[in-house]
Amino acid sequence: MKASRDNLRRSALAGLGILLGLWALSFATSAVWPAALGRCPFGYDVLRPDSTVCELAIGGLWVSLSIGIAAGAVATLFGLLVAMAARAAGGVLEEGSIRLADAFFALPDVLILMVLQFAAQTLADVHPALKVAPAPLMIASLAAVGWSGPARMFRNRFATLEAQDFIAASKALGAGRPFLLRRHLWPAMRGYLLAILVARIPAAILAESTVSFFGIAKVEPMSLGRYLGTSYSSLLYPSGARIVVPAWILLVLVVLGATLSAQGAALDRE
Amino acid sequence: MPRTFARIGRQLAVVPIVALGSYLLIAALPLGAEEDSKRQLPPELVASYRRDLGIGEPLGFLRPWQKLFRGERLGTSAQGVTGEELLRKISGSVGVGSLAMALALTWALAFAVLRSRRGSGARVMGKMIPAIAFGTPVFIPALLLAPYVAEAGHWLPELAAALVISASPGIFLGALLTDAVRAELSRDYVRTALGKGLAPGSVFRRHVVPNVLPALLDSVGPVATALLAGSFAAERVFGLPYFGQLYVVAVLQKQVAIVVVATTCFAALLAAVGLCVELVRLFVDPRTRAAGQP
Repeated sequence: MKASRDNLRRSALAGLGILLGLWALSFATSAVWPAALGRCPFGYDVLRPDSTVCELAIGGLWVSLSIGIAAGAVATLFGLLVAMAARAAGGVLEEGSIRLADAFFALPDVLILMVLQFAAQTLADVHPALKVAPAPLMIASLAAVGWSGPARMFRNRFATLEAQDFIAASKALGAGRPFLLRRHLWPAMRGYLLAILVARIPAAILAESTVSFFGIAKVEPMSLGRYLGTSYSSLLYPSGARIVVPAWILLVLVVLGATLSAQGAALDRE
Repeated sequence: MPRTFARIGRQLAVVPIVALGSYLLIAALPLGAEEDSKRQLPPELVASYRRDLGIGEPLGFLRPWQKLFRGERLGTSAQGVTGEELLRKISGSVGVGSLAMALALTWALAFAVLRSRRGSGARVMGKMIPAIAFGTPVFIPALLLAPYVAEAGHWLPELAAALVISASPGIFLGALLTDAVRAELSRDYVRTALGKGLAPGSVFRRHVVPNVLPALLDSVGPVATALLAGSFAAERVFGLPYFGQLYVVAVLQKQVAIVVVATTCFAALLAAVGLCVELVRLFVDPRTRAAGQP
């Protein structure tokens, strides 16, 4: 049992190492030392012949990771706030807010994302003063899409924790809600929160790449998702796979890192 | 039974919420596109747009539906859609989705068998396969397959679309299945049944499977959502003229009335899946039946 926990802990550290390492490598090679990616085994991009495949794929990774982390953090925090408010209000309000989360959760991320991007772009076309930069707009859209799952999970977790004997004992001793939250609930929620946040990162990157593939979002500087989304036509050329495969591998590594880290965070929860 | 009705009611409540939410969002948007904002829009175009969406009318949100039921074309004449065409597109997507669901179940079983095997190879594969499946946007395998199948006809593009959208949900189901089976196998009642001399196959069939099925049923909703989300990209890549393609084109061409109707249809489709799940649950989960009895 202990060996299995140690293995999980090691895997979680490896996952975190993969995520941080990829972000640092991507940021350092694109922002600090761009010449490092000038020589690339995959050659130059077909659609952007002045850049190598490595420059575009690795250079876009930190943008995607930053968007994924920011969107994941905003969505998770908003979900937490909704869950806390719902639990505090109780009754019809709690039921109503969870039904609203259900309505959001029932629809595909990509569908809501397309509608939100569509709405924001239409608004910006007519009122240029209301135009939001593509990256913050994407973060806001992804957060608006991603809050419902965490809200439901946090609400259920709060309900489970609040039904435990130690909470009842603490309440009987006169503990108020802020004390319960700080002393008992928050320590039990920390790992869970981290697991949910990390799990949102690849989901956000994938959703962004799919929306970019449809040509609806144009994140600048170019993210990994947008690079993947806009490079699809290169697959029609002979040996075009060399353009897409490196970005694909990076995406798989991000998912692997996030999955391993989330497992570690879940271990902390236990 | 009341609990089942409550669950069904919750599923159905999503449809009007989505219908109203999407309508209000679209109706609140100012009229115009990038090109339109540079010139004055003719008043008759503005009036036609407002009429199409029923903006400013009591119960205006019903206007796009009214047009559909009258057999009128929704959206601009060239890219618009009639109710009959919409139904045909929905049935096309549902057909691809059903095929994808069957394939997803096949992947799930195959992955569950792989994960249940011992050995470091199986363990590494058990971690790598989900990472590859969840880290791959649907459009990448679709594009890799497209040159070989897009023009082939004979339902090959539909089959290829079902194949690429089923991979990730299938692996998700497989992981869920393995975890649920492992959890059940470690329970006391299994040890008791085995200790009393029941054959392992019988224990699995008579005790473990009925307890695992409800967990699998819970995941059908998210899997259906994932399949529909995947159909947007797959239908576009393989050139399938179904519902996902219609939706993406409507968004790109800012066909607002179609966006409103199609979003609601998606919600209704998912609610229908939810209803089917609840009905199946009534048959396979004795706890659901027992919960309704006095």
